[in-house]
Amino acid sequence: MRELFLELFKDLKKNKGAFAGLWVILFFITLGLLAPILSPYPPDQVVDGALRLPPNSHFQGHYFLFGTDDIGRDLLSRLIYGSRVSLWVGLSVVLLSASLGTFLGLSAGYFGGWVDRVISRTMDFIMALPSVLFAIVIVAVLGPGLLNAIVAVSIVALPNFTRLIRAQVLAEKNKQYVQAAQLYGAGAFRILFKEILPNCVAPLIVQASLGFSEGVLNCAALGFLGLGAQAPTPEWGTMLSDARSFLESSPWMVNLPGLCILVVVLSFNLLGDGLRDALDPRLKNRT
Amino acid sequence: MSSLLKVKDLEKSYVTKSLSGSRQEHRVLKKISFEVAENQILGVVGESGCGKSTLAKVLTRLEDFSAGEIHFAGKDLNSFSRKEFPHQIQMVFQDPYQSLNPRKKAWEIIADPLFVSEGLSRREGHERALAMMEKVGLRPETSERYPHQFSGGQRQRLGIARALMLRPKLLILDEPVSALDVSIQAQVLNLLLSLQREFQLSMIFISHDLSVVKHISDRTLVLYFGEIVEMGPSQELFTSPRHEYTQRLLDSAP
Amino acid sequence: MLLEVKNLSVLFRTEVGPLEALRSLDFALEEGETLGIVGESGSGKSVTNLALMGLLPANALVKADQVRFAGQNLDLNSQEQLRKLRGSQIGMIFQDPMTALNPSLRIGYQMIETLQRHLPLTKAEAHKKAVGLLERVGIPEAEKRMKSYAFELSGGMSQRVMIAMAISCKPKLLIADEPTTALDVTIQKQILDLLVELQKENKMSMMLVSHDLALVKKYSQRVQVMYAGEIAESGETQNLIQHPHHPYTFGLLKARPSAHEGMAKGDLYAIPGVVPSLRERPQGCQFHPRCFRATELCKTQAPPVKTSSTRFRCHRPLEAP
Repeated sequence: MRELFLELFKDLKKNKGAFAGLWVILFFITLGLLAPILSPYPPDQVVDGALRLPPNSHFQGHYFLFGTDDIGRDLLSRLIYGSRVSLWVGLSVVLLSASLGTFLGLSAGYFGGWVDRVISRTMDFIMALPSVLFAIVIVAVLGPGLLNAIVAVSIVALPNFTRLIRAQVLAEKNKQYVQAAQLYGAGAFRILFKEILPNCVAPLIVQASLGFSEGVLNCAALGFLGLGAQAPTPEWGTMLSDARSFLESSPWMVNLPGLCILVVVLSFNLLGDGLRDALDPRLKNRT
Repeated sequence: MSSLLKVKDLEKSYVTKSLSGSRQEHRVLKKISFEVAENQILGVVGESGCGKSTLAKVLTRLEDFSAGEIHFAGKDLNSFSRKEFPHQIQMVFQDPYQSLNPRKKAWEIIADPLFVSEGLSRREGHERALAMMEKVGLRPETSERYPHQFSGGQRQRLGIARALMLRPKLLILDEPVSALDVSIQAQVLNLLLSLQREFQLSMIFISHDLSVVKHISDRTLVLYFGEIVEMGPSQELFTSPRHEYTQRLLDSAP
Repeated sequence: MLLEVKNLSVLFRTEVGPLEALRSLDFALEEGETLGIVGESGSGKSVTNLALMGLLPANALVKADQVRFAGQNLDLNSQEQLRKLRGSQIGMIFQDPMTALNPSLRIGYQMIETLQRHLPLTKAEAHKKAVGLLERVGIPEAEKRMKSYAFELSGGMSQRVMIAMAISCKPKLLIADEPTTALDVTIQKQILDLLVELQKENKMSMMLVSHDLALVKKYSQRVQVMYAGEIAESGETQNLIQHPHHPYTFGLLKARPSAHEGMAKGDLYAIPGVVPSLRERPQGCQFHPRCFRATELCKTQAPPVKTSSTRFRCHRPLEAP
């Protein structure tokens, strides 16, 4: 196992984009984990009078590196805490959609028949609707809030995992090593989890990485629409929404959260692409 | 010698439904009857489409059959429970690259039948796997390696080891040496013969390679489009065949 | 002499360093002759074919003292020169006909494309010629087949189509790389008989490459046995079969089940060990780790080429029986 990771790291190094992406992500993770230490101010601390100060401002003994928002909160601190929120959001979405999606994909692929039909048509239905729109509908039903936003985005992300795993299962199902296991009496679940699933890990990792960025983006979108994180939670999307009216007068309120979203999503995409290149052909060349 | 396996009037058809709803029946095996005695090797030859792989799948219960009877050790084949059956009949597969789980270590692959069927502990399974590896001519030091680190011939040995773990009475081999180089083929064939003697196995050896079948099997049957066109002691069948298809096969072989 | 190859070597530049695939190959082929090339996996037989056609990947380094084809010097690194020869003077058929034909183009299109590239024909003329070729290789309803796709044909049919394409410009040399390995034994015979017929008709030479020694010996006038990137032994078929000098040739001949006819179901003679991978080529003689006649000399010094009834590389060849 360890050798696999080391080799993976070596391969990723070759892909400059993926490598850069990896470090950026690690940077933001550090930021998020060490938020209380790194952040100069608590994210919801209001400084009276320090409204919409531009970056690099001094005010009554305070220093605001990235300026303040329209209520008087330090933007830098909110961004740092925001990375904590965004990463947590991304992780939750991936965990939820990956686990449920994998389970559905395994079932659909292995059992076929009506199980496959029901699951596949449901996934088709989810995919047919524009993702953000569908997420909005779900949140509208469940009520606004970060937790519900995560649920909604996870549902929208399900088909990615389900179809991926299902395709893998279909490919592996008829291979001779699976037949061999059937021959010595292994039941369906044992075969699914001990034989087939380990061979699906590579595309799963790639999809998880890409799913992270999608999760962050979609939750930010919901946040922007006011359906995700609610005030005063510092989430980048919500911060964007709050700053909408100040686009011209105080652009830093919009640019900086937007930049954070851009950079994190891009990094995950680059990392995901790099992982895909590193993992898939490797496995095929391993003869 | 008593009969271990008795197949009578076995039929297997696939039904395909076209979009228009019409059903088409494709008969792959047509009224096949043959017997395999204890401690005997039966060769099965035929070209693509003759049904030999389907026969293997039916005998190992990987697929159902449409009509006929199959009796094993005096009982109906379908009467064996899912726990009993693996101890009766096992199979060695054709493709050394596909027949082993690429994510499992060598000893895990070999020991898995024991974990599933006899509920052995990991340590016991490991020990038994190492012992079997030696029997099939693999060095026990390689037990922690993954399939891709073995050569084709070594992988087939792993497959044979796995098949023998549950001490089956009948071993079905579907083109076990076809994907191997000639010099390795000889090694594996020798191994199979010695294992057959040691474990008193019966074998059904499926192959398209006539010289290999002639060498290894006691009796042979020739399949052509799902029917047995000739069957008999191997030496006789290959030196003085009675059916013109058998003759044609022999003439074509270089 | 149609083809003469002197001291051909092929090196692959890889991440783990240079890997020697072929080492100092010398061989020749007369007009109208069939040279059988026998080798197991890792012997280098396919690399040889691809090197002659200039179809090796970019990281391959091909060197030869001299290569002469049809009286002209051939530079195996000159894509220009090779492109003119490929398809018109040298044809090649591959192992798996299902994947060697383009699955999204009709058969007819592929054949006409080949014909028009090398011969000054109009589309109509090329079409007529293609139909004629398909008929010649024994494809029924040839005109109708022109419109088929590769996946609609059986293995044997696809191989016939590939042969038709390969001989369409009447090449002087046909390289057949495991042409029948994926086919049934009865189809195999038909295909090989067809190749022999075409050879006689078109005065074509053939390099028949296979791992199947029995096949090669039946259809070739001369045989070349390759092992780990070198020619272990070569010579006229009869000589090689009756009196092999190299222990590997001897082992190959003896390892076949048919070599045990009439004997009790005893053990087959098996060559111990495995073919070395590209990274693990031994010092000295390539075959010594598996050779029952190996001595200390064999472990350190590469054996020279010797000639008697056959040509072979061995320090301690087998003497006359």
